[in-house]
Amino acid sequence: MREMLKIVISLFAIFVGAGLILSYVYAKTSTVIYNAQVREKEAALKKMSPEAEKINVAGKWLLYEKPNEYYEAKKGNKVISYIASTTGKGYSSYIKILVSTDPDLKIKAIDILSHSETPGLGDEIEKKDFKKQFEGKVLENIELLKVETKDKIQAISGATISSRAVTKGVKEAVKLLNEKYGKGLSKE
Amino acid sequence: MNEKINYWKIFKNGIFSENPVFRLALSLCPAVAVTSGVKNGFLMGVAVLFVQTMSNITVSIIRNFIHPKVRIPSYIFIIAAWVTVTDLMMAAYARDVYKEMGLYIQLIVAFAIILSRLESFASKKNVLPSGVDGLGMGFGFLIALVLIGFVRELLGKGALWGYQFTPTKPLLIMILPTGGFFVMGLLMGFFNWINRRFFGGKASADVHMEAHRHGSH
Repeated sequence: MREMLKIVISLFAIFVGAGLILSYVYAKTSTVIYNAQVREKEAALKKMSPEAEKINVAGKWLLYEKPNEYYEAKKGNKVISYIASTTGKGYSSYIKILVSTDPDLKIKAIDILSHSETPGLGDEIEKKDFKKQFEGKVLENIELLKVETKDKIQAISGATISSRAVTKGVKEAVKLLNEKYGKGLSKE
Repeated sequence: MNEKINYWKIFKNGIFSENPVFRLALSLCPAVAVTSGVKNGFLMGVAVLFVQTMSNITVSIIRNFIHPKVRIPSYIFIIAAWVTVTDLMMAAYARDVYKEMGLYIQLIVAFAIILSRLESFASKKNVLPSGVDGLGMGFGFLIALVLIGFVRELLGKGALWGYQFTPTKPLLIMILPTGGFFVMGLLMGFFNWINRRFFGGKASADVHMEAHRHGSH
């Protein structure tokens, strides 16, 4: 009985001690981490539409049950760009992607925010050459091919699954923007 | 306690004769998982160095207070606490590094080398030698990871620390887990050969067994 009590006290004291240290570190770092995350998100959005004065959340949508948002980037009162965050179902991870389009829903740029695809193969989706292919494309042209192509998207050799994931994610985002802002709906 | 403690010997021990990866053959899983490049290997090594040293010191300080029957849960909890501290600090003050390494940092809790040093060294020795042992083991691990990362990144990507200097990937397989096993096995063999040839030492499998026997009493 005494032995048991000793064990409990020993473990308890260690847990409490470590808990105190951890709560102190957490209190010190949590605000720093939160601020950094907010700043990173703003910076990522800003990068997608550098000329915009204001980027507002226009709505939320789901892809692969992951929460995503879409935004209106405005300069003055004029919408100069739509931005959507989207998800790709990659080889070993969900890929977080940002897509920006001009008011005619032609892609301006895409950016890969985070992923954990195979280093050396799948992570080439981050490379400029691959991302650049999306620029200027409209919905019908967002399609992955394994051969050299000008008006479609060419897959990275050795990383077809990751390339397809990004392409599909981008396509879904552009489809959504088309549904929301597509032709016929003139804006004031 | 009367005899003078040779700190340099304790430190060196972790790097050469009991190198965690090449000699003790411990924590091989992370040694393959994170060494696709020099940079990742280096950062992981630094994190392990910190956790190992701090855990060694903590356990050494409170070693008389830890009840022997629950020492393993106590050690694990102490390691977990230091890993969480590392994780939070990196997330707050080294964002770029954290984005690449965040996933792996939390896994340090389960690294065999850390627990094994607490059990076989820190729980029996004073604070200073324990700290030095932690530093030595940490550096040994760091050096091993950087070496494996160096070979894999150079052969697999034709790059070092992310700087590309060949247009193509010379030996793609080196980047994949398969290549990790190849490189680790070859380096381990190389270390053993050096040890046998020049120092008349034992192969790492023997050291491994001895470390375990040592730890069990």
